[in-house]
Amino acid sequence: MEMDSLPNGNSTIPTTIIPTTTPSTALSSKLTQLTESLKLEHQFLRVPFEHYKKTIRTNHRAVEKEVSSVISVVNDAADSDISNDDAVQHLTSLVSRLQGLKRKLEEGSRTENLQAQRCRARIDHLESADAENLSEWNNMRMKRILVDYMLRMSYYDTGLKLAESSDMLDLVDIDVFLESKRVIDALQKREVAPALAWCADNKTRLKKSKSKFEFQLRLQEYVELVRAEDHLRAITYARKYLAPWAATHMKEMQRVFAIVAFKSNPECAVYKVFFEPKQWDYLVEQFKQEFCRLYGMTLEPLLNIFLQAGLSALKTPYCYEDDCTKEDPLSQESFRKLALPLPYSKQHHSKLVCYITKELMDTENPPQVLPNGYVYSTKALEEMAKRNDGKITCPRTGLVCNYSEVVKAFIS
Amino acid sequence: MELTTAKDAFDRVAEKQKLSFSKCQEVIDQVSQEIEQALVKIQSVEDPMSPVDQKSILTELKHKLIAISPLKLLEGSQKELNLNLSKFPKVLEKSFPDISKAYRDVDFDFHIVNQIIASHFYHQGLFDLGDCLINEAGEPEAAALRSHFLELHQILEAMRIKNIEPALKWASTNREKLVQNGSNIELKLHQLQFVEILKRGNRADALNYAKTHLASFASSHLKEFQKLIVCIMWIGRLENCPHSELFTPIHWEKLTEELARDFCNFVGQSLQSPLSVAIVAGIEGLPTLLKLANVMAAKKQEWQALKQLPVPVELGKEFQFHSIFVCPVSRDQGSEENPPMLLPCLHVLCKQSIMKLSKGSSRAFKCPYCPAEASAAQCRQLYF
Repeated sequence: MEMDSLPNGNSTIPTTIIPTTTPSTALSSKLTQLTESLKLEHQFLRVPFEHYKKTIRTNHRAVEKEVSSVISVVNDAADSDISNDDAVQHLTSLVSRLQGLKRKLEEGSRTENLQAQRCRARIDHLESADAENLSEWNNMRMKRILVDYMLRMSYYDTGLKLAESSDMLDLVDIDVFLESKRVIDALQKREVAPALAWCADNKTRLKKSKSKFEFQLRLQEYVELVRAEDHLRAITYARKYLAPWAATHMKEMQRVFAIVAFKSNPECAVYKVFFEPKQWDYLVEQFKQEFCRLYGMTLEPLLNIFLQAGLSALKTPYCYEDDCTKEDPLSQESFRKLALPLPYSKQHHSKLVCYITKELMDTENPPQVLPNGYVYSTKALEEMAKRNDGKITCPRTGLVCNYSEVVKAFIS
Repeated sequence: MELTTAKDAFDRVAEKQKLSFSKCQEVIDQVSQEIEQALVKIQSVEDPMSPVDQKSILTELKHKLIAISPLKLLEGSQKELNLNLSKFPKVLEKSFPDISKAYRDVDFDFHIVNQIIASHFYHQGLFDLGDCLINEAGEPEAAALRSHFLELHQILEAMRIKNIEPALKWASTNREKLVQNGSNIELKLHQLQFVEILKRGNRADALNYAKTHLASFASSHLKEFQKLIVCIMWIGRLENCPHSELFTPIHWEKLTEELARDFCNFVGQSLQSPLSVAIVAGIEGLPTLLKLANVMAAKKQEWQALKQLPVPVELGKEFQFHSIFVCPVSRDQGSEENPPMLLPCLHVLCKQSIMKLSKGSSRAFKCPYCPAEASAAQCRQLYF
């Protein structure tokens, strides 16, 4: 491609949000802010931990199962009359089974250790943020937020590319999301098997959160049977898989059993919804939510949460005026649209920005009033007077006056 | 602080995991050992036809295994681990709040968000990531800004190796509009180029460059022009030149930034990626919003319906894009109907406060901030 000559990522525009020459007070406030912002990282620490926990539990369950099966083999052998050869054979196979189990245990422990390392890498990463690497660290955080967005939206290629190019695979949850990808892909192809398998894997936790996702999956499979007019199988299916939910989901259940009375094309709106193709999209959404909940993630992409907070904090009535400065994100139509339903920010104190230099006017750079009532910063006017032999030209009205005519205004 | 607590809690988990692993190993070893011993015994039975022996060995094994009770041991090893496993999320929840609490249930149009992100990648010069996203998300219209940013990054890349040509080409092509915008970037670029020629020390080259490229700026920027021409006299000993500040390398950096800013403004964009600005503002603002959401937790409806946040969310200086005047008396935000007014004593109040203090401008009043008296007629409107 034509931009191959450009090394990607190295040619960023040469500024950062944080000015390079930050005075020490500003720096310390930046550091307090950093400490505050670290508390927003729940998901960052939680997800790898849930993954780790899941692995530990699965591994342990496998060990328990195998050991108990070994014991029962011994018990059975002891309680029956078997020949010497049989006994030898039984016991030999048990010994090799236990050896296999031991290997599996070691392998499992290696995975566990790797995942523990990842958890630790996250904690270390949060600890590593300090004054020296602040801008780089913030940059990384931005990328983490973007990767999270990509993964949740199923833009895996972009997510992976961004993570790889920034060497941050340990700091994002690609492997966790790949687990969800299998289920989502299948649901999009209208297959429920992987989703059902996932439900079985996480049975206890889903039950604890009173999830009805499995019921919804079963229901959809049943609807598909009705749609295919395979009524006999539909009824058998309903008996087997839907009936167990009757106690908790009575109302839905009644409707569900009524569906079979209709052909696949019911007139009644109550039943019609069951047959709509968007039910499958709904299942995908439902799955994503269950998945996020299980891993302790926010249900919304982090990007949306931060963006919403940022836009609320930035939104003022002035943002929507024609002369809004381009540096304000809300000067862009796209950001304005997103911010439309959000509240305006509130100010308790005046915040005045010089029209000329765009710098804050405060006690160090106080506002000065021209005879026509227009206000500019001392810095801007001093500079202008120096260049033009003490003359000031108001950039908005064209009025020319002497620097001696301007007065300092006191604004508290 | 929070981090240390989390770290400690995690260390305990990891420790218990290791412990549980070695316990499991022990249990398996113990069971294997018993079985192997039994196996040896059975194999060493002299008379293979005597069933009593092997049966008693198996029964003995069974009892031994019951005595070891491996399942109980396994359960026991897991118990402590489980305890710590469920503790860690609680520790996290305590010191790392759920940030979605401050989230209002308004869905962002994801097409818009995708476009914003694609533009962000282009803005940062991450062209293949932008392309990848547009492809994967199917948002072809998001590529609108690609060509602009590609041009910008090519110009900047050239500047980095002190090649000013692409930048000059862009500046001269768009001369009129740039001047209209109040930018004199073209002159500054020529100045930088001229300085490089001066440093090389060839007087004829310098004169030539000044004639062809700088002369046209003489009328509009006389002072700058004079300065540069004067420098020609000092070729070979520029360090003694009265305008030696022109020769510091910092000018390259500064001008590169200025160029980037002018370019971005020229195509209706900001120097900073607007997405970065908004996200950083969000990170700074979210702690306050979370506190607010907690306070308002009982009134969830109100939180969702707010037209204006009830408390200020303090952001850094770099996020101050607009002048906002807040009357120190009434705490109202200035507006066209209620503008800020300058009192003769140079304190500023909003119009409505002045009306109130002067009883509808019928009488003089004392400034709330100093002993001076004023009448409403003496107050002048201010424009920020």
